[in-house]
Amino acid sequence: MILNTDSMKPIYVQIAEWLEGEILSENIKDEERIYSQYQLAEMFTINPATAAKGLNILADEAIVYKKRGLGMFVSPNAKQFILTRRKSQILGQMIKELVMEANRLEVSKSELNGMIQQVRRENEEE
Amino acid sequence: MGVIHGVDLTKSYGKLKAIDHLTFEIEQNKITGLIGRNGSGKTTLLKMVAGYLIPTSGELKVFSENPFNSLEASANSILIDDTMTFSDSFTLVDILKEMTPFYANWNSSLALGLFDYYSLNPKQPHSNLSKGSKSTFNSIIGIASRAPLTIFDEPTTGMDSAARKDFYRALLKDYLEYPRTIILSSHLLSELEGILEDILLINQGTKRLHLPALELKELAVGLRGNAQAVISFVEGKKIIYQEDFAQGSLYVVLKRELVQQQLEQIRQSGLEVLSVATDDLCVYLTAKTKGGIDDVFKKG
Repeated sequence: MILNTDSMKPIYVQIAEWLEGEILSENIKDEERIYSQYQLAEMFTINPATAAKGLNILADEAIVYKKRGLGMFVSPNAKQFILTRRKSQILGQMIKELVMEANRLEVSKSELNGMIQQVRRENEEE
Repeated sequence: MGVIHGVDLTKSYGKLKAIDHLTFEIEQNKITGLIGRNGSGKTTLLKMVAGYLIPTSGELKVFSENPFNSLEASANSILIDDTMTFSDSFTLVDILKEMTPFYANWNSSLALGLFDYYSLNPKQPHSNLSKGSKSTFNSIIGIASRAPLTIFDEPTTGMDSAARKDFYRALLKDYLEYPRTIILSSHLLSELEGILEDILLINQGTKRLHLPALELKELAVGLRGNAQAVISFVEGKKIIYQEDFAQGSLYVVLKRELVQQQLEQIRQSGLEVLSVATDDLCVYLTAKTKGGIDDVFKKG
């Protein structure tokens, strides 16, 4: 796994998002142990303090929880939580940007809706 | 806990102050990057810490001792740089074998393992190595020494990109297994910042910044777009760097906290909000002259 060091996103955010991806795809399931900061540091060649900060983001949102002396575990319903939040935040932001770009390009409301419908249809055909 | 304490540390060469009243502390078992432009004093500072040079004034303590004449500090630290020389009567493998009595934590199997991996010629004398291979060989000594204070001064000079990546990974892996205090000096911040915990940025012998690498990444923000719009948002604020990007367009870098509240508004007004690579930020913060290289070419 390659991290994008030039990205607008700090590395620890990329780590948190990668872990969320692992939970969404159920590579790590509810109540299973998640990677430790040292495992993540090794996997991504990053400082363990950076990895810890990525894990802390998930802990702050209660996506993972700490079991004393045993490490971090995935909370029940973590997947559902991530799905809901990504829908409202990430998808919301993308749509905002989409609308802004459409305005810059002088694309009308109906034209934009048409473009979205078209992509949808193409995806369904595949 | 601090392993190195410097208070008002100064080192002069004649009239030139290579290190100028520097006060700093390096914490135990962290990987710290010492960053600065050419001639900023990095090597002088590291040589004082390693006990090779005596400070002109100020106080320097390494493991609570004055490193210049302390056996204790010397036995617990190693400085790896490109001026290391070894007698030509030793082959490369002999050199690695002879390290055992000097460094209490010397990991012989790791040294030989890395040596094999890099396919260096065991029979070769050190002085015949190419620039990159010399750096590679010296870095093996630095990693395998497992010295409680391990210092690398520009360790990747001459190494190709694959060798540099291998070095950073080998160093990090061994650090995870055996945590110790590590200082890396470099001007190639972008490729090593991922493994750093702290960054100490120096400029003309003085401290410019000392903070966690994570914070440096988010310290500044770049705004780019219509010059008047940019100016309206940054007017009266301290600008770290600015560049005329294109006709009527401006790129400005400033501290993120100064515009944090307005970022959404800035985006709405059609300006680009960009993250500033730590590499670039360090260059801006240590610029000797106002403006950039482009100004040299602007005539009249």
